[in-house]
Amino acid sequence: MSMIEIRNVSKWYGQFQVLADCSTQVSKGEVVVVCGPSGSGKSTLIKCVNGLEPFQKGDVVVDEISVGAAKTDLPKLRARVGMVFQHFELFPHMSVIENLTIAQTKVLGRARDEARERGIKLLDRVGLKAHAAKFPGELSGGQQQRVAIARALAMDPICMLFDEPTSALDPEMVNEVLDVMVELAREGMTMMVVTHEMGFARKVAHRVIFMDTGRVVEEAGADTFFGAPTSRRAQQFLASLKH
Amino acid sequence: MNYHWNWGVYLEQVSSGDERYLDWIVSALGWTVAVSMTAWVIALLLGGVVGTLRTAPNRWLVIAGNAWVEFFRNVPLLVQLFIWFFVVPEFLPAELSRWVKQDMPAKEFFTATICLGLFTSARVAEQVRSGIQSLPRGQKMAGLAMGFTLAQTYRYVILPMAFRIVIPPLTSEFMNIIKNSAVAFAIGLMELTFISRQMIEESGQVFESLLAATILYTVCAFAANRVMAFIEARARVPGYIAGAK
Ligand SMILES: Nc1ncnc2c1ncn2[C@@H]1O[C@H](COP(=O)(O)OP(=O)(O)OP(=O)(O)O)[C@@H](O)[C@H]1O
Ligand SMILES: [Mg+2]
Repeated sequence: MSMIEIRNVSKWYGQFQVLADCSTQVSKGEVVVVCGPSGSGKSTLIKCVNGLEPFQKGDVVVDEISVGAAKTDLPKLRARVGMVFQHFELFPHMSVIENLTIAQTKVLGRARDEARERGIKLLDRVGLKAHAAKFPGELSGGQQQRVAIARALAMDPICMLFDEPTSALDPEMVNEVLDVMVELAREGMTMMVVTHEMGFARKVAHRVIFMDTGRVVEEAGADTFFGAPTSRRAQQFLASLKH
Repeated sequence: MNYHWNWGVYLEQVSSGDERYLDWIVSALGWTVAVSMTAWVIALLLGGVVGTLRTAPNRWLVIAGNAWVEFFRNVPLLVQLFIWFFVVPEFLPAELSRWVKQDMPAKEFFTATICLGLFTSARVAEQVRSGIQSLPRGQKMAGLAMGFTLAQTYRYVILPMAFRIVIPPLTSEFMNIIKNSAVAFAIGLMELTFISRQMIEESGQVFESLLAATILYTVCAFAANRVMAFIEARARVPGYIAGAK
């Protein structure tokens, strides 16, 4: 069963076409890695999945709900789709635990105690239970990103979107975040991950999508893609990553 | 300099009645504080709303908000005061117009308060808009991605941070509103500026009269500054450095 279906999506900023006829799908329990050079449209594509970016052509269907349809309740759909950003985007004026409970109570209508219990459990899972009362500004980048993952998980999402979750981190913090993501993947979470972390992709990705200038240029298993990419652009891109 | 200082003047009786100059000054301080505080509440509420609407994803709301700010910011305060006092009543429905012109109690106070409140609301709106827009774009995205509606995203994510960011510029607006309340003397409100001129005329003690007004304005503005500093300290976010990611 496909959890996310991207069907011939095109998007323009004025005259400039950011996405050109992009299609792919992510099955339930599947982990798909999206990579490609800067400006190729990866962030834009992943933000189309939960309707954060509108698109002019095609459609995205998440759990059989059309993102593009005018009658779709987008907030309701987004509450079921977890998203993790490059710059964490924790709410700086709320403590860590409040970051994890606010949407549970205000969006899902959970009782405070229940939300708190769920929040603490997830913090424990990402190894940050002791930091529940701190504020985001008091944590390291890696810790903040783990909180952001826990915040998304607190909503019991049906799938998770990651937009370069480790690229704003100091190198020594990358692994603590990747470890959490690997564990999540192994538990069977449906994930769409924009990343250039080849190690992560090889470990857990079922498929890799390569984008260039707004197009899905290549789609293959992780080993095939990293071992023997077919398109010239992908070969060049992989060569550039190795430097 | 041939000036006759008379520090006892404050306790002398005014020549036109049985009050002392000190009574005048105390009552004048009351009017200054009343106009400033009431106008400040109006300015904060309206300015907060208008400033927020100027960041809304709706062209007409943005245009309306911009027009509001440009009008109240670009016309001199004194001219605005005269418009409210002399022109606006003429355009009210006949009954209301007659009542405003003849029977309205504390007309000078209400006119000055509305005028100053709206004038300052434009300045507050400008601060609020730029405060909201100085937040990282990703914050709004993160709010929406959690399933918040746009209104909830403003309520729980954007405005609490924007509010903290605008406290320092709002501090100077709060101090400004106290100083700007002096224009009310032009329509005859018996606030500090009005009374200090009156005291000069009746007592002839120019320096003492102006000194009283100067000191009281300074004390008020300083008090406003301290109140805002207190709020700023209370609202401070642990570990958050303004402008940093
Ligand atoms: N609001 C916007 N207006 C105009 N052009 C935009 C806008 N946002 C993005 N773009 C352009 O769209 C293209 C795709 O941007 P996008 O952020 O999706 O790329 P990306 O693949 O995520 O790149 P990166 O690896 O740098 O994050 C870029 O050329 C970018 O300049
Ligand atoms: Mg990107």
